[in-house]
Amino acid sequence: MSAGRRDFVSFTRAGFAGSLRAGSFMAWTIIFFVLFGGLAIGCALSMVAQRNPLYSAISLIGVFVALACLYVTLSAPFIAAVQIIVYAGAIMVLVVFVIMLLNAEEEARRPVRLRHLIPVAVGLATVLIAETAFMLTVRGTSRIEPLPSPASEVGLTASIGTGLFTEYLLPFEITSVLILMALVGAITLARRTQVLGMTADDVLNSQALAQAGEARGIIQSGDTAATGRAMAREQIEQGEAAQPSPDGKEGE
Amino acid sequence: MDWNNSYIQVGLKLVGINVAFVVVLMIVAYTVLAERRILALIQGRLGPNRVGYGGILQPFADLLKFIFKEEITPDKATKFVYFLAPIIAITAALMPIVVYPFGPTVNLPFIGPVALVIARFDIALLYVLGITSVGVYGIALAGWASNSKYSLMGGLRASAQMISYELSLGLSLVGVVLMSGTLDLYSIVEQQGGWFGMRWNIIRPDGLPQLIGFIVYLISAIAETNRVPFDLPEAETELVAGFHTEYSALKFALFFMAEYVNMFTVSMLATTLFLGGWQGPFVEQVPILGVFYFLGKVIFFLFLYIWLRGTLPRFRFDQLMNFGWKFLLPVAILNVILTATLMFFMLRQ
Repeated sequence: MSAGRRDFVSFTRAGFAGSLRAGSFMAWTIIFFVLFGGLAIGCALSMVAQRNPLYSAISLIGVFVALACLYVTLSAPFIAAVQIIVYAGAIMVLVVFVIMLLNAEEEARRPVRLRHLIPVAVGLATVLIAETAFMLTVRGTSRIEPLPSPASEVGLTASIGTGLFTEYLLPFEITSVLILMALVGAITLARRTQVLGMTADDVLNSQALAQAGEARGIIQSGDTAATGRAMAREQIEQGEAAQPSPDGKEGE
Repeated sequence: MDWNNSYIQVGLKLVGINVAFVVVLMIVAYTVLAERRILALIQGRLGPNRVGYGGILQPFADLLKFIFKEEITPDKATKFVYFLAPIIAITAALMPIVVYPFGPTVNLPFIGPVALVIARFDIALLYVLGITSVGVYGIALAGWASNSKYSLMGGLRASAQMISYELSLGLSLVGVVLMSGTLDLYSIVEQQGGWFGMRWNIIRPDGLPQLIGFIVYLISAIAETNRVPFDLPEAETELVAGFHTEYSALKFALFFMAEYVNMFTVSMLATTLFLGGWQGPFVEQVPILGVFYFLGKVIFFLFLYIWLRGTLPRFRFDQLMNFGWKFLLPVAILNVILTATLMFFMLRQ
């Protein structure tokens, strides 16, 4: 009998406490599943229920960490590490940056608008729970086998790498093209348009403005201090009290 | 005692974690003292040398000071996040300590052969990189939650810098992984044995010396830990104290400790991957010598950090980001391509 099968049998014979005492793998799997699954569900509920968007983001990070721990209990440590590195460590950092920079406000408390849909939600949830209970008790758990241990000694990383570069090479390359598309799109959207938007008319107009300024003595080309003083004098003469002359005298 | 019982094994690991925790905190405390003394000597003055013989009890004096200081919390700070940030910082700094092998397999009297690493698993390197990515949150959230413009600027700059240099950090390690064929740190160190204990990855005599990777890693690591010359986020002359401006007493001590523990962690990663970890002359005959070699190399890196702090001026932030994205990242990618190509040709022969 493999180790997994032995554990499963000892679990069904000795009960939960007995197998826990014996240090069985199965009992600890259940404990970890309940722990991390509960953590994930709690963080997910918190994410939805929080009014402050940053607390929601932090709760989502908690969900990802809990999911990573669940992956570890399923003998997929590579996926867990990649989940932390990519999701919790990169994507959520981006989300947190956006929330901080946009200074997203707390949502105000709102009255519940869709009150009439609450009985529908409760009814559907009851149906779901009833179906799950039926499947687990009447049909039984006889079809649930314990997970087989990984076949090779090399470990999950090597097998993922091999599969990614041989059997699944085409989806891999297409996914990288997809990410490249997103990257190019983001750079294009975020570019400052003033640099790109200078048309020939704008260039000519600015030259005309410069010549007009020089003609009226406001712009002294090459001497910013003198230009500043001339501009300040101009504005004082126009009766604008907002711009005091020390600004002009400072020059550069 | 049945040493194969899983509970005993877990208990042993917990004891190991506690010992490592205490050892790391002691090393960090004395790194702070060493930094102050060495920096002082570089700058032509003496550091703290009054408390105890030559200042040896200074860390304890500092600790007492931190404990007894008043905890000032800014009025409009977001309380929960304000308290969470230093916790995330110190946890993310301490978590990677458990995967570093600090010695070969020694024969302990009752227990038998024990590999001197607390947690040995397949993806140790990815684990370290993942925890480093999560460490960014401590700084970003601290900067934001303090409700102060200096903190926010410092926090955003620090997090932008950290996520930029994380890429070069990861890529510089890919060369080593390609040569070793595994992500398990203990195996990587084991493969650096031979050649009289000097078959380190940086000078690999019968393979590909990972010198470029090492230099890229060193620069990225200094940027990751916000140390000079990349310490603009905490530049005292510009941002008061950056993201930890509004933190006082023990919370500040946690950030301070987190920075030095981070330094320690990246030094350990550098010695493990590039300098051969515990490998050195005569390690097969006297296994316990490996621990001293490991500590010696780590202390060399810590000294290097302090030396750089006393010598170099700091980068401006745009220079920093330009350097990270436009120079360091292409060099790291080139290193990966070069290593892969040369390995391919060497394997074919």
